[in-house]
Amino acid sequence: MRRTIAIAAFLLVLASLHVVALGRSTVERKQLPRGEGSAIVLPSPLLKIAALEFRGLISDYLFLDSIAFYGETLNRTERPRIKEWEWRWLYQTLTASTDLDPYFLDPYLFGNAFFTWEAGMIRETNDLLAKGSGYRTWDWMLPFFAGFNNFYFLQENEKAAEFLMEASRRPDADPMLVSIASKLVFKEKKTETSIQFLEEMLQRTDDESIRQRFTTRIEALRGILLLEQAVVQYQKRFHRKPQRIELLVAKGIIQNIPQDPYGGKFYLDPSGSVKSTTERELMPHRKQ
Amino acid sequence: MTTLWPIALITFKEGIRNRAVYGITLVALLLFGATALVATMVPREVGKVAVDMALSTISFAGLLVVLFVGINLMAKDLDKRTIYTVLSRPISRSQYIVGKFLGMIMLITVTMGILSFLAISAIVMLKTIHGGFFTRFSWQAIILADCLTVLMLIVLSAVSFLFASFTSSSFITLILTIITYIIGQSLSGVKALLETPSHELGFTVSPVTMNMVKASYYLFPNLSLFDIKLQAAHDLPISSSFVIWTVVYGLVYIAISITLAALIFRKKEFP
Repeated sequence: MRRTIAIAAFLLVLASLHVVALGRSTVERKQLPRGEGSAIVLPSPLLKIAALEFRGLISDYLFLDSIAFYGETLNRTERPRIKEWEWRWLYQTLTASTDLDPYFLDPYLFGNAFFTWEAGMIRETNDLLAKGSGYRTWDWMLPFFAGFNNFYFLQENEKAAEFLMEASRRPDADPMLVSIASKLVFKEKKTETSIQFLEEMLQRTDDESIRQRFTTRIEALRGILLLEQAVVQYQKRFHRKPQRIELLVAKGIIQNIPQDPYGGKFYLDPSGSVKSTTERELMPHRKQ
Repeated sequence: MTTLWPIALITFKEGIRNRAVYGITLVALLLFGATALVATMVPREVGKVAVDMALSTISFAGLLVVLFVGINLMAKDLDKRTIYTVLSRPISRSQYIVGKFLGMIMLITVTMGILSFLAISAIVMLKTIHGGFFTRFSWQAIILADCLTVLMLIVLSAVSFLFASFTSSSFITLILTIITYIIGQSLSGVKALLETPSHELGFTVSPVTMNMVKASYYLFPNLSLFDIKLQAAHDLPISSSFVIWTVVYGLVYIAISITLAALIFRKKEFP
């Protein structure tokens, strides 16, 4: 009896020590330096060979690893939340994942959602999308996104139009794409085209914070469109351009000046085109 | 055939009774469970990941069967000296090898059949829950990929028979077979890498290396040829001429290995 109690007590001590040691080790491990040195992804040709017949599986693993890492950073308090080299590591991981299985859709979508808005890695994202678009020839979404990035972040409308035309040729593509593309090329009705393009994009975005950005931007552009049309009407009626935006209300062309959702005020610049005091908000941020 | 059949049957029975088979099935079962878990972590291509994982599990479990059950079957008769009783019967040594190999084919086919059934059940289950995420999906491609995996395993098993015919211990056969598997899966990748122009590669490949790789390309079985898991996962077109030539290649390689194994085994002296 005494023996049994002694053994039980001994096991109990070991068990509690096990829990403590596991907990401490996990905590201490988090303190270990995790510098740039650990951020190495094997070059794809080697990875392809090392993956043996499990390329698809390792591609899945790399993708899940990168979304798990991204998910973990959401709890961080420091700013910027994700460091430069971490973005690079994420990009390399997704590149490796899509080198192992270039038909895998998820890494492209994930990369497109996060490398553009947060990291400002627009050109890199478009390289990734171009690769996916080359393999997934049945999929119109990837060239569509590449086109959108060119239009929205890089303001390279011709390039954007090329991607949109490519997208429009693919099965089940939205018929609107052709009309957006042609307007981008001929630079006509810029504001309307932008609204149309953003509305297309809004439909295909799940991320709530990005949706919010699109909605605000569409609202701002609608305000500008309204004012632009009012300016045209003013010109028709008075045969000259209005000097101040308030004249549009004073002369009864519009009831009131729309609010700038970014918190600024709309005004007319000397050439008569509609601007906002929050111009920088209105123009998409441009990071290189 | 009448002389081969009893050996084949006894080999198969011995193999299927091996406890390792249950262990391997259990591992596969756990991995199929993991398939269901992992696939749902992917936002869109649930189907692709499910097929990837299911087919990889079949391949991996089959590899374990060939390496740890198959090689033992061959070695047991030698280790336990039961080979003397078998060879004292009116059968030739070549017939013994061929019979053993037929039993091995049966074992691989039956165990892979069971694993494939489990894999298909896992995919069916995921497909009923997440049907919308199985956009590019075809049972035909999956079953074809599965069949080619089985053929790959039979080729590897044939090579292990060849090794077993001249080595003295099953451990050496095991090591040689593992090396063959790794070389066989990576060979075409290495060859393609070394054949890229040196200015893209960043280093020059010596002609000796190149010739060695080329020699191994014809010597070792090209196991990566039988791997169409990626195509199956995305339902990409698989030409019938590819399938036919790959099957022909596999059968020829099996025939060569078993013939050589029989020839060497005929001359073998037992301790």
